[in-house]
Amino acid sequence: MNTQTYAQAAAAGIWSSGAEHVGYIPSVTVAPVIHALVETDGGRDGVSEHVTPLSREEEAIGVLGALPLAGSFGAVVMQDNGFGNNLTALTTFSLSYHLPLLIVANTRGSLGEYNSMIHSISQHVPTILTTLGIPTLELDRRSSTDDWHDVIAEAGNHAKMTYRPVVVLASFWNTDGKVA
Amino acid sequence: MTMRRIEALTHLVELTEHDPLVVTCAATSRELASVADRDNHLYLLDSMGLVGSVATGLAIAAKGSDVRKVIGIEGDGSLLMNPNVLPTGGYLAPEKLFIVLLDNKVYGSTAGLPTYADRVDLGAVAAASGWTTGTADDEASLREEFARLVAAPGPTLLHVRIEAGNAADIAKLLVDPVSITLRFTAWMTARLAKQ
Repeated sequence: MNTQTYAQAAAAGIWSSGAEHVGYIPSVTVAPVIHALVETDGGRDGVSEHVTPLSREEEAIGVLGALPLAGSFGAVVMQDNGFGNNLTALTTFSLSYHLPLLIVANTRGSLGEYNSMIHSISQHVPTILTTLGIPTLELDRRSSTDDWHDVIAEAGNHAKMTYRPVVVLASFWNTDGKVA
Repeated sequence: MTMRRIEALTHLVELTEHDPLVVTCAATSRELASVADRDNHLYLLDSMGLVGSVATGLAIAAKGSDVRKVIGIEGDGSLLMNPNVLPTGGYLAPEKLFIVLLDNKVYGSTAGLPTYADRVDLGAVAAASGWTTGTADDEASLREEFARLVAAPGPTLLHVRIEAGNAADIAKLLVDPVSITLRFTAWMTARLAKQ
């Protein structure tokens, strides 16, 4: 029986994708994913050798998106409203330079959301990403933790196979994960 | 006497034949390519403000290698579009991160409009963020401080004050970015494998 939480499954999926370094922009919802990533990497207090905080989403695209230029691969963990910040970096760097990158973002602005304005950006993120031609996979409570692990791991593989960024949008509503 | 950008780039080309070089967009990339168009040059054609972040990622990837530094050539206007580079570099402290800031106090590729650099000392911001810094305003000080900072541990920043204005008759870089990726990645991975 699988006893992983959804956050632990997401973290394990990121490592299974072959990510060698993970950069994150914090949110309450992804904090359990960060803790799981840090714990499995031997760190503590939100930081480990291969898991580090970053201050903004476009910065994360630059730092982690550059790794394939050196034969490495990275992942970004963030919240979906941060796509408003990183679109120029995502398009002019990762997409244009054909650089694989795994992005796992928790979703806001739908069922269970208390913030009355965050939907203004979050609701439109899937459409925006699709318009840009960025492969986007969506996960929610209807899938098992095993499926979350497998989809995230395969999303990283897809990024490497296609030399492009791939986004996984994960809704933690009604899972065992924490929702802001 | 202060240098023009293309003079500073000419000196930097001499100093960086074996180093990964990430270069900011527009006039700086064009002028560098006109001086020398080498496999170790990564031109960011339109990724505004991203040089420091990309150099940080490459410095992380180069950890433990014999690459002495990953060098980002940045402008004041571009750095001010993503000044997060400085506190992030100070916090993550990659051993091999080195930014050469060519500061002419204007957006050189945008009609020469002023940046904040006229009143904000970006080298001091870097120093306050934990970087080892130096300053230069002529060839001698550029070469001397480059030699010191390229050998110093942790993130380093060389603040070079240059004249405003772009070099005349420099060709645009009309290339597919993926060709830059292929060329630079081949050079970088071979360089990292050479231990």
